[in-house]
Amino acid sequence: MKKGSTGQMFFALAVIVCSFAAVFGLSRFLEANRPALPVGFEDEDLALQGARLKGYALGFEGLIADWYWMKSLQYIGDKIVNTEKAIRIDDMRELNPRLLYPYLDNATALDPRFISVYEYGATVLPAIDNEQAVKLGEKGIKDNPNEWRLYHYLGFTYWRLKDYEKAADVYGRGSQIDGAPDFMRLMAAKMKSEGGSREIARAIYRQMFDEAGDAKLKESAALRLLELDSLDERDAIQTVLQEFQSRNNRCANNWREILPLLQTVKLPNAKNFRVNKSNELIDPTDTPYILDRAVCTVKLDTAKTKIPLK
Amino acid sequence: MNSIQIIFTIARNTFREAVRDRVLYNLVLFVLLITASAIFLGELTAGQESRTIVNLGLSAMLLFGAFISIFVGVSLVSKEIERRTVYAIFSKPIGRGEFIVGKYLGLCLTLLVNILIMGVGVSLALAYVGGGSLVFSIWGAIFLIFLELTILTAVAILFSSFSSPTLSALLAFFVFIIGHFSASLKEFAANLGSSFTRLFFDVLYYILPNLSFYSFITNAAHGDIPPAKMVGGAMLYALCYICVLLVITSLIFSRRNFK
Repeated sequence: MKKGSTGQMFFALAVIVCSFAAVFGLSRFLEANRPALPVGFEDEDLALQGARLKGYALGFEGLIADWYWMKSLQYIGDKIVNTEKAIRIDDMRELNPRLLYPYLDNATALDPRFISVYEYGATVLPAIDNEQAVKLGEKGIKDNPNEWRLYHYLGFTYWRLKDYEKAADVYGRGSQIDGAPDFMRLMAAKMKSEGGSREIARAIYRQMFDEAGDAKLKESAALRLLELDSLDERDAIQTVLQEFQSRNNRCANNWREILPLLQTVKLPNAKNFRVNKSNELIDPTDTPYILDRAVCTVKLDTAKTKIPLK
Repeated sequence: MNSIQIIFTIARNTFREAVRDRVLYNLVLFVLLITASAIFLGELTAGQESRTIVNLGLSAMLLFGAFISIFVGVSLVSKEIERRTVYAIFSKPIGRGEFIVGKYLGLCLTLLVNILIMGVGVSLALAYVGGGSLVFSIWGAIFLIFLELTILTAVAILFSSFSSPTLSALLAFFVFIIGHFSASLKEFAANLGSSFTRLFFDVLYYILPNLSFYSFITNAAHGDIPPAKMVGGAMLYALCYICVLLVITSLIFSRRNFK
């Protein structure tokens, strides 16, 4: 190899290495000195007119719908990460997720058969905005009239809003669809008269748990089922505490005093009371119940329990 | 040698030449990479991995397939002219129409091989994430993508028969874009007051290929298989349209003087 060409090679390599080093350093400098975005920028609806692309997206509507779906999950995820509080998926009011509905609306406008979006909306939106939750549910049914799940999600939305009559109507319509499970007929029959009952709530959350494709939605349904179990347990414990008080003219000093009485109580759904190693009664999330001797009642340990409090 | 033999000989040679083009491999590799990345992207979609793979994989297949159709298509004829090999070709008893059809079929065969490779990539990705019946049901949509690309190839060859490669590529790309929303434009025009605008968009709708007939990606993500009527109609539409384009190309090309 000629000396000249070797020298040129080394020069070229030196330029490449130095330039890359400069690029690396400059990248970090520019990132560090990027002007801060205005407060609340993450809530600006810059790309929320995606539904207008329908028919003009070269056949890529599904892909753009996926993008809106991922954006909605990231949007919520970022808000959860940036807040210090523990947030449940079915109660995100504190996050003020203003853009969630537009994201979900755009996803379903571009792909009306994107069922998971309606499922997510039915779980998350009722706690944020009733109107939007119902609007999304109705839209799903209008675009997919033969999909029984969508009637279930809308019925669930109305049920959460305690509008049992509308919930019963929606479940009734959904129960007529081919392939709709018996659960829909049960809901249609019992919703009007027993909409506020635990039996209905248990059936609904059991169905949500069995059907949910997303882990977070499953977790939310599971926690609600545990909440119902805890309500049953607390009712039974309260009855026993009152019985103890009437027999002994005082409240029990600790759980050990009423454990023998609790063993005679049968909980619904073949559940049993549970105690930890310290013989404390524990709730379905393994957190000890609190015995408030002042008023002789059983309470949840609100600081530690995972049971939803609202 | 009869016309059919001539056409197949040219097609075979065109195929052999096209598969040596490195750009082709890079584009196919890129699509396979995008499909593989869809597996990871699927983790952001809360249980919708299969859907993401289908949407991303088939969309990439269509887009990059369009690039292949356009860029290889426009250079099919122009390369022969640049290299002056057309003189050698037409010194033999080969008709201009036979040449065009042979070149076109060769590129379609290349496209078919590329689409098959990309389709297998998407199917494997789906199998990896447990996509179930989607592994097989997407092939209906893939076939429609192939038909769309055969039309686009014919468009590219038409433009290249009378225009420079750069302009031909640009025009073919415009046809790809407009072809996909010509139906929407027609609906949009119907709402306008002007009868001239309505007539203009109606003419555009029928003259330009309606590529939205071949859009089935979103449906495929839901596990749909295109109905036989739709596929049959799409095939006939493609055949008729391609015939028109190749005949026009042959006519233009037969009047072209290479000196």
